[in-house]
Amino acid sequence: MSAVHAEADGIPQGHFTLPDPSLTRVLEVENLIVDVPGRRLLDGISFWVPKGEFVCLCGPNGAGKSTFLKTVLGLMPPTSGSIRILGKPAQKALRDVGYVPQRKTSDMTFPARSIDLIVASMRGSWPLRIREEERARAIEILRHVGGEKLLEKEIARLSGGETQRVFLARALVNKPSLVILDEPTAGVDVKGRAEFLDLLAEISASDELAAILVTHNLAAVARCAERVVYLDAGRVSAWGLPGELLGQASLSAISAVAGGDHAAHSHHHKLPDEE
Amino acid sequence: MDGWLEPLLVPFMMRAMIAGAVVGGLCAMIGVFVVQRGLSFIGDGLAHAAFGGIALGLLLGVSLERMTWVALPFTVLIALGIGYVLRRGSLRGDVATGVFSAVSFALGVLLLGLRSTDGPQVNVETVLFGSILAISPDDLITVSVVGVVTTLLMAFTWTKLAYATFDPELAALSGVKVAALDYMLLALTAVVIVVAVKTVGIALVSSFVVIPAATAKMVGRSIGRVALLAVAIGVVGSSIGLMLSYYADVASGATIILTLGGMFGLALLFKKK
Repeated sequence: MSAVHAEADGIPQGHFTLPDPSLTRVLEVENLIVDVPGRRLLDGISFWVPKGEFVCLCGPNGAGKSTFLKTVLGLMPPTSGSIRILGKPAQKALRDVGYVPQRKTSDMTFPARSIDLIVASMRGSWPLRIREEERARAIEILRHVGGEKLLEKEIARLSGGETQRVFLARALVNKPSLVILDEPTAGVDVKGRAEFLDLLAEISASDELAAILVTHNLAAVARCAERVVYLDAGRVSAWGLPGELLGQASLSAISAVAGGDHAAHSHHHKLPDEE
Repeated sequence: MDGWLEPLLVPFMMRAMIAGAVVGGLCAMIGVFVVQRGLSFIGDGLAHAAFGGIALGLLLGVSLERMTWVALPFTVLIALGIGYVLRRGSLRGDVATGVFSAVSFALGVLLLGLRSTDGPQVNVETVLFGSILAISPDDLITVSVVGVVTTLLMAFTWTKLAYATFDPELAALSGVKVAALDYMLLALTAVVIVVAVKTVGIALVSSFVVIPAATAKMVGRSIGRVALLAVAIGVVGSSIGLMLSYYADVASGATIILTLGGMFGLALLFKKK
């Protein structure tokens, strides 16, 4: 990892340590602009995520985090700029991306078991019958996230923590190069959140899998982030190592947004783990 | 054939039985997705929209027997309009349905008032409450064609439709054409509703869509089983209701719905814990 001081368009000026440019770039975003009628949501975003790096994407509400994720995932069209995944246009490489949505987006009253969700992710369609090899793969990936006993459990009966464990399994089942997690611990109880952070820390330790975690949770940033990208008003206002950003006044706003009274001055300080 | 199956020897009862079973099964099949998506009100809304189509047909001088062919495109257009509003995301499904159906129904009332008094007489009660016992051989052909086309389309798209119902974003990421499926489901719902209006009428048709699916959802543990169960409830409930109405000599559409309501009550008692 080398210290690079940014100069390119859309990359913030300042003494932040950027990833080694010679590393394989799993995600590369260049001058991304997204407009909706009458408003600019993303205003020239540029950064990249190298192989194996765990990036926390932070910023206040309305900064453009969700718009950014939706654009990367092809759910919103960019106005201009480019998004490349492993060198390919994002739309042609979505099989290389695993996605863990916010809990509120899925219909958890849907009559299904955990295994159905995982096999649906493998097939790209809902399974009527599950083949033996699919069951074996579902067991394997659930075991990987510590949720083997959830295989046959109805999704309506999963706790918040169990739900996110199953969604993480479905995101990882196709062996992606990049996993994107959109505030996965929002609304999850304290125990479930702590357990999920343990899982994220394991992903962070991986040299193969890159991850982008959208979070307001400074405990998650301190525990998992190898780098932090801070969005504000549709622009990248800071991009660097957690230690470089956690002292920034702007990042302290995250905890305020999260409803905490705790301003983060350093990642050595006690950090709020409440969202 | 004798005993309690004797009514099936009567041609109009045989036609009613077939039409009721097909329409009951189709509404239930569509209803599984409609109910799961929280759009239960859409059956009622589209039935009211169909009234606008029927009135338009009457104004154009089309006979009540051939009214389906005017009501169909009209109701499908309304359904697609609701879909468009839903996809824009600015209004909830019940609001969009409420606005479109109320406007269509009001248009129907207006058009009925505008038609010439020399035109064919219309029994509004028949339109409101249906006339399954008056199903003609031509109607049966229409019901059968709609049944085959709807079943084939649902069968080909079932696994994608289920995925998009669970989570449209995740389905889209897996390459599912969510928008196209949404519009297809709404258009099919409109087609099935228009055909069903002939059997149970505008006032009761939404029960055909909602009750079997809601009953099956209480019992089934997978979407596949819920769908099979809902279709079985729709077909069996319709057949039992029709037979009961024959022997009790009461309104058939209402008896079918009450039978379905009874099955819902039973499921409520014995639903999965």
